[in-house]
Order: sequence, then C-alpha cells, then structure tokens
Amino acid sequence: MRGPIVAAIVRKDARAFTRDRFFFFITILALVAYAVVYFFIPSNVDETVTVGVHQTGLDELIRGVAAASRGLAVAEYDSSADLEDAVTRGADGVVAGLDFPTDFAETVAAGERARVRLLLPAGVSEDDRLLLEGIVGEVAFAVAGVPPPVDPITDAVVLGTDRVGDQMSLQDQMRPMLLFFVLMVETFALASLVSIEIQERTVTAVLATPARIGDVLAAKGIFGTGLAFVEVLFLALVIGALAPNLPLMLVALLLGSILVTGFGMIAGSFGRDFMEVLFISFAFMIPLAIPAMAALFPGTAPLWVRLIPSFGLVDVIGGVTTDGESWREVSGALASLAAWSTAAFVAGSMILKRRVSTL
Amino acid sequence: MSRPAIAAADLGYSYGDVRAVDGVGFEVAPGETLGFLGPNGAGKSTTIKMLTGQLRPQQGTIEILGMRLPDRLDDVQGRIGVCFEEKNLYTAMSGKENLVFFARLFGIRRFDPEPLLDRVGLGGRGDDRVSEYSKGMRQRLMMARALINRPDVLFLDEPTDGLDPVSARAIRDVIRAEAERGAAVLLTTHDMHEADSLSDRVAFINQGRILALDAPEALKLEHGERSIRIRFRSGDGVEEEVVPLDDPGAADRVRAAVAERDLITIHTEEATLEDVFVRFAGRRLE
Repeated sequence: MRGPIVAAIVRKDARAFTRDRFFFFITILALVAYAVVYFFIPSNVDETVTVGVHQTGLDELIRGVAAASRGLAVAEYDSSADLEDAVTRGADGVVAGLDFPTDFAETVAAGERARVRLLLPAGVSEDDRLLLEGIVGEVAFAVAGVPPPVDPITDAVVLGTDRVGDQMSLQDQMRPMLLFFVLMVETFALASLVSIEIQERTVTAVLATPARIGDVLAAKGIFGTGLAFVEVLFLALVIGALAPNLPLMLVALLLGSILVTGFGMIAGSFGRDFMEVLFISFAFMIPLAIPAMAALFPGTAPLWVRLIPSFGLVDVIGGVTTDGESWREVSGALASLAAWSTAAFVAGSMILKRRVSTL
Repeated sequence: MSRPAIAAADLGYSYGDVRAVDGVGFEVAPGETLGFLGPNGAGKSTTIKMLTGQLRPQQGTIEILGMRLPDRLDDVQGRIGVCFEEKNLYTAMSGKENLVFFARLFGIRRFDPEPLLDRVGLGGRGDDRVSEYSKGMRQRLMMARALINRPDVLFLDEPTDGLDPVSARAIRDVIRAEAERGAAVLLTTHDMHEADSLSDRVAFINQGRILALDAPEALKLEHGERSIRIRFRSGDGVEEEVVPLDDPGAADRVRAAVAERDLITIHTEEATLEDVFVRFAGRRLE
C-alpha cells in the first residue's frame, strides 16, 4: 500500500461522490430528514393515568387517593352517562372510569360489600384492569379503614434500570435507529460507487498503472469508512448522542462505519447495475436494521437478534445514550461490534478483490 | 533487432476449458508497431492483459523492456501506456481531472494536462465532464491517458473502433508520432486498412494461436493474389474480368481484352491483408 496512490484514489472517490447528484442528494436528505424527525418526536413520556370518576359525596376522598398515587389523575363527571361517554371516546385522556354507587361510603363503612362499576374501553389490557381494581380497593380502604388483602407495591422488585417516573422517551429510543439508518444510506452509496467502478472497468485502468489492488481496497475502505463516519458523527452531534460519553461513542460509530463499509464492498462487488446494487444493499441492510428496530420495544432482545452483526452497535449506542453506561458495561457489545466489523471488512475486501481479478 | 521492448514466448491462458491463448510468442522492437489482427475471441485481449500485468500467464514468459513479468510488475507498469477497448474513464470528472488523477497514480506530482489534450485534439474541452464527451472525444482522451507517463511501450486495444474519420485520423497520427519517438506499439484492431497503414509488422491470431507474423507487404506478396480487373461494356450492360497476374497467360489475356473489348477501366489490384487473413484463418474478420 502506497500513501500517495491511496490518497489520490480517495480524493478521486470523494470527487465522484460529490459529483453524483443522486447520492449527494439522498445523503443530505437523509441527514436533514433524520435530524428533523428526531426533533419532532416526543422527548418526554407522560406517565399519568387519568381515570374518570362519577360519585356522590366522595370528592375529597377520591382527590386524596389521586394525590397519594404517583401518576394518577382524576377527572370527575356528573353522571354515569357522562362517564361512559368519556371512557368510550377517551375524552380528557380518560383511560377508564369508576362509577361509584351513591351509597358507597355508607355501605363500606357498614362493613358490607359495595359494588363499583369499572368502565373500560374496548381493548384495555389486563394490567390496566388490575390497576384500576386496585384503585377501587384503595378507595374502599380509605373509607372503611380496612387494608386490602394484598399490597402489591411492597412486593414489587424492579429488575434492571428502574425507570418509574423516568420513562425512556421515543426520542431516546429512536437514537440508535436514526444513526444506523444514516449508515445504511452510506452503505448503498459506497456499494454503488464500487459497482460503477467495476461495471465501467475504470478499476482496470487504475490497475494498469503502478497502483495495486491493495491500494484500491485501502482507498475504498478509507473513503467508505470516512464518509459513513463523518455523516453519522454529524447526526450524532445534532441529536445529542455524543454528549454522554464522547470517546466511547466515537469508537462505536467508527466501528459501525467499518461494519457498513464491509457490507457496501460486498454489495458493490455483486451488483451489476443500479437496481441490483439497491436490491443487494437492502438485502443486507434490512436484517442489519432489525436490532435498531428492536430497540424501540421494551424488554431484552431475543438471542437471534443479538447475533445480528449490528446488534453491538445499537446496544452500545442505546446503553451509552439512555443509561449512561460506561466502557466496562458496554465492553461485551463493543467487542462483538469490533469482531463483526473486522469480519465484514475482511470479507468485503476479499470479495471485491476477487471480483476485480475476474474483470 | 535491438533488445526487444516486448518479448513474449509460448504464452498460454485458459478460461476453464476454453483455451484463449495457446503458445503465442513474438517480439516488438523499440519504435516498431506490431498490428495484432484477429476476430473477436481470438485471444488478442487476453494476450494484452498478460502483457500489461492484468493476468498472470499460465504458461510462457514475458519480458517488457528487459524486465520479467510478473516479477517486476511495478517497474513495468510505470513505463507502459494502455489504451483499453472499453471507454473506462471517470465520466463524472472532467478530461483534465481524469488525466491528473492518472498522473498521480504514476507518481507525477506536477502534471499539466493541457499539452496532452491539445495533442489529441481536445484542447479547450479539458474542463468539460467526460459524460458530455462524444465517443470520439472519449477515445481521444483514452489515448491521452495512455501517454501520460511518456511510455516506452504502448498497448492499444482497438483504439479507433467505431470512430468517425476525423477522430480515427487524429488517433492514428498520435500512434505514428509515438512510434517515431521510439515507443514500441502493440496495436490490436479489426481494421485491416488501419493495420496495413500503421504497422511495421502484423500478426494474425485466431483461436489463440498466431497464424502468421510478418510485414504487411511481405504477407500480401507471399500469400496474396495480384490481379488486373478489366471492366468493359457488353451489350447494354457492364461486365468485368479478373486476370490473376501469377497466371502464365495473364499478359495475353490482358492484350486480348484491350484489343477486343469496349473497355471502361483497367485496374491493377494487389491482395489485401483481409484476403491474406482469410487464406490463413478460413474466415473473414468480423
């Protein structure tokens, strides 16, 4: 590998990229669009559950229960019909209704069982139903002074990060996905540049000079990685993904750029025209995007998702930006990412080298 | 002959079961132009790929400027120029940018592309993107690219294929000038007239083998047929008679025609390279 030759090829690739209006346009578009999307998505989570209540004579009691319960709000209605209508339409953010009988206080105070109608909209979850039943029990406790048979709060154990009152916003969840999508766009751009070079046989002309295939591969690797890294870095800066741990994020994004460069070289080697390159690029990128999509949903990713090469990247970004994880905490994911990036880059280089040798 | 600029001996290369080049050998001296003639698939391009280091020969030896390939590929590729059959230029870049880029690959840091562009008739168009060039202009730029490093050996693969007469003439002029400068030129072409006018010697290649190798004139004299074509009026029509000069009664037949026919024209004809090729290969060049 000779520096001046590699530098000349990198400069040429950069020029070819900026001259290609399509790739230049979709790159700028992707960066702007993802940044705009990020700032349009909600940055906080409203954890308040609003329950509609129709009752007579329990105003203070109900408000007291609501005030004592974190995340519970009460909307009062004058009649059962109004309450039913609100629950049906979801008016005032009401997710359920409690229709207390007029003699509720007296009945409970007398130690008798009172019947409270729990109004639920179609499709309500079992969890929400249980929550609302608990509220009824709380009210009964407050009126009668008799504790309910089970206090679920005392038995609750939060595994992992306790995010009660500090839920991950959609913005936080989207961060890994947006950053990965930028890398995806660059995979396609690099694949197309490689493919054009092969199809137009310009690489043959390059190899008829003192330039060697190693110089070409090094230049493609540097250009592809550099292009992807600069762009993903830009978006990361804009959406504030670098702030929690700059060195760690730089390493993760650099490894991610190397990963997609490897896949770009593979796609570019096989694609014979624009549509084929598009198809092959997406054939790689769609599975690679699965971990980024999975990050939108709570819970631990299944094993098969964890085995996807891009999982390490998403895991590190998510861990660092949302949970403030340290080098030590993400070391496993980072090692996995480094291994996959190396494998993808080596495979891409070998396949491209073989493709060029058959021209 | 001085030390050959190109010396190929017993070259062989197969693509799977297909024998593309089979025992090809020849030499080209500095300042000499060797025309490499053959139909598509004859083995011309594979031979050039081996000579320019793009393919490693499976059989035989190659020396370029006294340097063995592939051992001294770097040294060799710094001193050769290649004009490919495909117009493999960077179309998003200008003509100047293409030349400057390739100059960098040759290690030329300060390179002024203007004189080279002028030389191939592209003066004033160097700043235009290659995507805006006509086929002829692209071919001229390819030729200019092959000359960037002032090569001692030029490999030209169909350099005038499909070009308009003006562009073809411009390129032929450059080839002649390069040979006069002292560069050895290996020229592959389908165009027999071009080969005849540019080549000091020609090699006929077919099915991977060299069928004949000599000066065009020698090949025509040795293997071609000279004749006299006589056109005359006959009734309301025109007829013609071809008299082979090697025929023992040729002189009498010509005299008789002059005396007895209502002549329109008499032309002497010598064999073309095409005729000679057909005699060797049993087929015409397509």
